[in-house]
Amino acid sequence: MGILASIYSVFGFLYEPAFMQRAATALFLLSFCASGTGVLVVSRRMAFFPDAAGHTIFAGLAIGLILSLPVDIVVLIFGVLIGLLIIYLLRHSTLSSDTIIGLVFSGGVALGLALTSRYPQAQGSVNRYFLGDVLTLDDRGIVLLLLLTLLSILFFLFLYNKLMLSCVAPANYRTSALADYLFGAFLSLVVVISVQAVGVLLVTALLVAPAAVGRVLAKTGRGMFWIALLVSVVSGQVGLWVSYLPQINTTTGATVVFCSIAIFGIAVLIKKFIVLIKGKGAFKNLAGK
Amino acid sequence: MNTSQDTMAAKSAPTQGPDLKGQCAPSITIKNMGVSIGRYDILKDVNATVPSCKQTVIIGPNGAGKSTLVLSLLGELPHVGEIIFTPPGPRLGFVPQRLDFDRHLPLTVAEFMALGRSLWPLWLKVPKRLREENLSYLELVKATHLADKPLGSLSGGETQRVFLARALMNRPDILILDEPATGVDVFGEQLLCEILESFKKDFTIVMVSHDLATAKAHGDWIICLNRTVIAEGPPADIFRSDVLAHAFGLHQSILFGAESGVEEEPCPCCHEVHGAMP
Repeated sequence: MGILASIYSVFGFLYEPAFMQRAATALFLLSFCASGTGVLVVSRRMAFFPDAAGHTIFAGLAIGLILSLPVDIVVLIFGVLIGLLIIYLLRHSTLSSDTIIGLVFSGGVALGLALTSRYPQAQGSVNRYFLGDVLTLDDRGIVLLLLLTLLSILFFLFLYNKLMLSCVAPANYRTSALADYLFGAFLSLVVVISVQAVGVLLVTALLVAPAAVGRVLAKTGRGMFWIALLVSVVSGQVGLWVSYLPQINTTTGATVVFCSIAIFGIAVLIKKFIVLIKGKGAFKNLAGK
Repeated sequence: MNTSQDTMAAKSAPTQGPDLKGQCAPSITIKNMGVSIGRYDILKDVNATVPSCKQTVIIGPNGAGKSTLVLSLLGELPHVGEIIFTPPGPRLGFVPQRLDFDRHLPLTVAEFMALGRSLWPLWLKVPKRLREENLSYLELVKATHLADKPLGSLSGGETQRVFLARALMNRPDILILDEPATGVDVFGEQLLCEILESFKKDFTIVMVSHDLATAKAHGDWIICLNRTVIAEGPPADIFRSDVLAHAFGLHQSILFGAESGVEEEPCPCCHEVHGAMP
């Protein structure tokens, strides 16, 4: 595990303990994957998709435990299947996306609760996924995150434009089925892996908040991506650092998410301020049309 | 037929400057064409022709099946009967109706033009060569000044022109526009029509409209549609009160009918007949 140790040591100047270096690495990688994905999620108006995909983890968890298969893998596979199911329903049903996502969301939670109530040994793991903990990630978790980062880079390189285009004129520039399903599967993977760090309750915010800041502040598509990435990385690292301070000492995942939401609040205020200052100009533009 | 704009652009359209002259300007022959959903016939026994290198306007009242016909031409809707392109397999450019996209999405016009054409992901860069090419297409539709504006901040007419530029980038042999005048003010529509007029020699244009004034002013060939073809021919034959009364009712036929005695000289500024009431 020499390579991993040298990766962790990048954060050696900030933190002494190995688990903190590992957590910082994990959050850095996660920030990259989640921010770009979040931009696509926000632009495609699928903000509830991560919530639904996240909550189906309980069903996957229960199934893994009952069949006594390795839980981590079952959860991943089950999440991807659910992602594909949602995309299938979105493409082939006349119901609106919020209805479909709501149905899958509830279905996943119901199945998970029903199964775990029957098998009490599943309860402990439920709590782990419910709140998540980036500090307890092991080397395997980091390797998984590295793979996800690699996949994200490939995804952002080759499918980003296609998925973005369909946000502008979905009726005209319809995405190919393949791109849609790949996005569903990829998004589910990001969600299920993120859940281990911040928990089911906060996974949506991890993806959506940085992208929302980008959307508020940016004027170009390129700007939105980089602002989201910056906000994601900053809130990840600041959140971790703050939560580690002995006088504060809070749950890391929640602190990270709170940081990004706080940045969002500040961004909205800044935007308001800019509009206020430029008020006259904006009015002129309006009158000119 | 391949109607996905991106794949078309990526595969076949060369990427130099905007020489719009297509290899062919195909004509379309529609034979006994029909579209039905369940037992309900949206279009039935449609027989029509779209002449080459002309601007054909499909007119008809609401619910006449105009947009359905367009979707069938694009190959997006299953239909019975035949739609024959001569020569076959043309590249199609499409400007959609009513562009209700997410207007607060941060995306500039130049970025939008590059999406689906650039091998570089949007978040890295838009290659300089592609940007110049985009600008030259925007110039064709008199929209160069919009290149760095957010797409969502454009007016209806500007948006239509940008989407037109995007459709032109695919170097269409046939350009299809569905109700390009919806949500566009008079001047915007006039500009759009003038631009289209200048492309007529390069490719075949099919435009759907429910605005008879546009059809009369700019159409070379009119297809009057109401679930089936009621009449087709040059404007002079179509804009007769009996034909229009049949398709649109009495009011329109009074306004636009050639025989009703209100045919006036076209306005010298916009070449449109404003059609005063008698």
